[in-house]
Amino acid sequence: MSKKYAVRNLRLCTKDCLCLYVCPTGATDTENSVIDAAKCNGCGDCADACPSGAISMVPEVYPPQQPKTEAVLRAMNELLRSKSRQEQIAAELPGKLAKAIEKSNRIMAEDLIREAGYMLPQSENTRDFLQSLLLQRQQMEGFPKEAVEKLIKAFNQNNKEDKNMNENKTIDNLMEAFAGESQANRKYLAYSKKAEKEGKINAAKLFKAASDAETLHALKHFEVAGKISSTADNLKDAVAGETHEFQDMYPDFVKQAEAEGNKAAVMSFTFAMKAEEVHARLYQEALDNLNETEEVFYYLCPVCGNIEKFIPEKCSICGVSGDKFIKY
Amino acid sequence: MGKYVCSVCGYTYDEAKGIPESGIAPATAWEDLPEDWVCPLCGADKTQFQHQSTPIASAPKDPVVLVEPSSDLRELSPLEISILCSNLARGCEKQYQPEEAALFSELAGYFKAVAASAANPDFDKLLALIDQDLSEGYPGANAVSAEAKDRGALRALVWSEKVTRVLKSLITRYQKLGDAMLENTGVYVCTICGFIYIGNAAPEICPVCKVPNWKFEKVEGR
Repeated sequence: MSKKYAVRNLRLCTKDCLCLYVCPTGATDTENSVIDAAKCNGCGDCADACPSGAISMVPEVYPPQQPKTEAVLRAMNELLRSKSRQEQIAAELPGKLAKAIEKSNRIMAEDLIREAGYMLPQSENTRDFLQSLLLQRQQMEGFPKEAVEKLIKAFNQNNKEDKNMNENKTIDNLMEAFAGESQANRKYLAYSKKAEKEGKINAAKLFKAASDAETLHALKHFEVAGKISSTADNLKDAVAGETHEFQDMYPDFVKQAEAEGNKAAVMSFTFAMKAEEVHARLYQEALDNLNETEEVFYYLCPVCGNIEKFIPEKCSICGVSGDKFIKY
Repeated sequence: MGKYVCSVCGYTYDEAKGIPESGIAPATAWEDLPEDWVCPLCGADKTQFQHQSTPIASAPKDPVVLVEPSSDLRELSPLEISILCSNLARGCEKQYQPEEAALFSELAGYFKAVAASAANPDFDKLLALIDQDLSEGYPGANAVSAEAKDRGALRALVWSEKVTRVLKSLITRYQKLGDAMLENTGVYVCTICGFIYIGNAAPEICPVCKVPNWKFEKVEGR
């Protein structure tokens, strides 16, 4: 959660003044009824205490804006252009209705461009727009250059460098948390199986529940980090990942384990290496046939992780009997 | 006896019930309502209503016509820059940044003032643009936004498409009735979605975007 500060909606304020009572810094106690953002420490006590729901906590830094596809931007721009022409025409026509139509078109156009990437005044898009105004329009007579410069300065101050840095750091943190939660999920699952074998049912259950909880966390972190693309791109990523594992990573690990005489590790690595090679091939096939609608079934070897598209007599990697395979 | 639903605001005309308080007796068939009858809630004309059994088709199922833009990164016109700036001024207001809002408003005013004026403006030109929006602009934009799962864009499109249909029916009526249509009555604009209401007082909530009526602005004479 990013840092927040309190704002008061005067229209809802019923002057119960509980915000004054609970505020630890006096930020709510101002002559003009606007909460002093410089004093506010973001604790949120005033928002909780207000009986009229007149105070809300707003983020100091907004998340980056949601990406827009080019097709959407084009379509919204076409409508914007049409609405601006209608505003222009209505502005020249006499009568109240024309005046209302002029206003109406302005409001619709504002909303359309707002949803075409200009929601927030402090966004990258807005900064680029202001910069381009300075570059391209400042020769125009009477151009309010000073206003543009002030705006660029205002939004640079509280944002630019800090925000970019924060964003990058946060993405790193998300990925680190994703790795940690993923490991915790598998670890607790292993612990749960062990507890089950020992007949410690309650501990087994708790480990299982916690392992599922870590999965939830991991999935959310991964999603928020923006790492989930289209299925085609996800398949390409999977092919690359599995290929790296069976070509580079596991061969080195196997050699090292052999040198150290750790036979169990050699076997664990070897099974995984061979299975990853199969996975890479299957991902590539799935990518090539992404638009095929005919259903394909996969069969998983529960011992080594090999995957086949048919039930084999026995696993080609670890030799376990085919009837153990699990159908997907 | 059937029911007819307004595609702009959702008001339902029930043939069995009629609208006795407006002099429409119970059991008045849809066909027997006068041609110039309009939705009591939002003022949309009869053509905006659909029989309740027919599903409301917001976008035609025909192949979608995508409008080719004249250029990808075409330069915004001065009036479009003004619109962008007044939108950003609103954005600043919402974030309690009055100084920045004033600066954006100053820019919006400047670009509105330097914008070219329309050549030979008339209501028919407005109607032509509206028809183009309704037949090409919105179906195309809705299709690409749905495909991109762009909730924000879809939301804005739903509102402005409805408002555009209301504008069409208002202009059509105005062309028939002239200024008599506006005599002894107020004209109100919703400052959130642009919905126009003609009547004695703005509706309690906006039939298009559902904001309360204090967000409406009364249009004073010109």
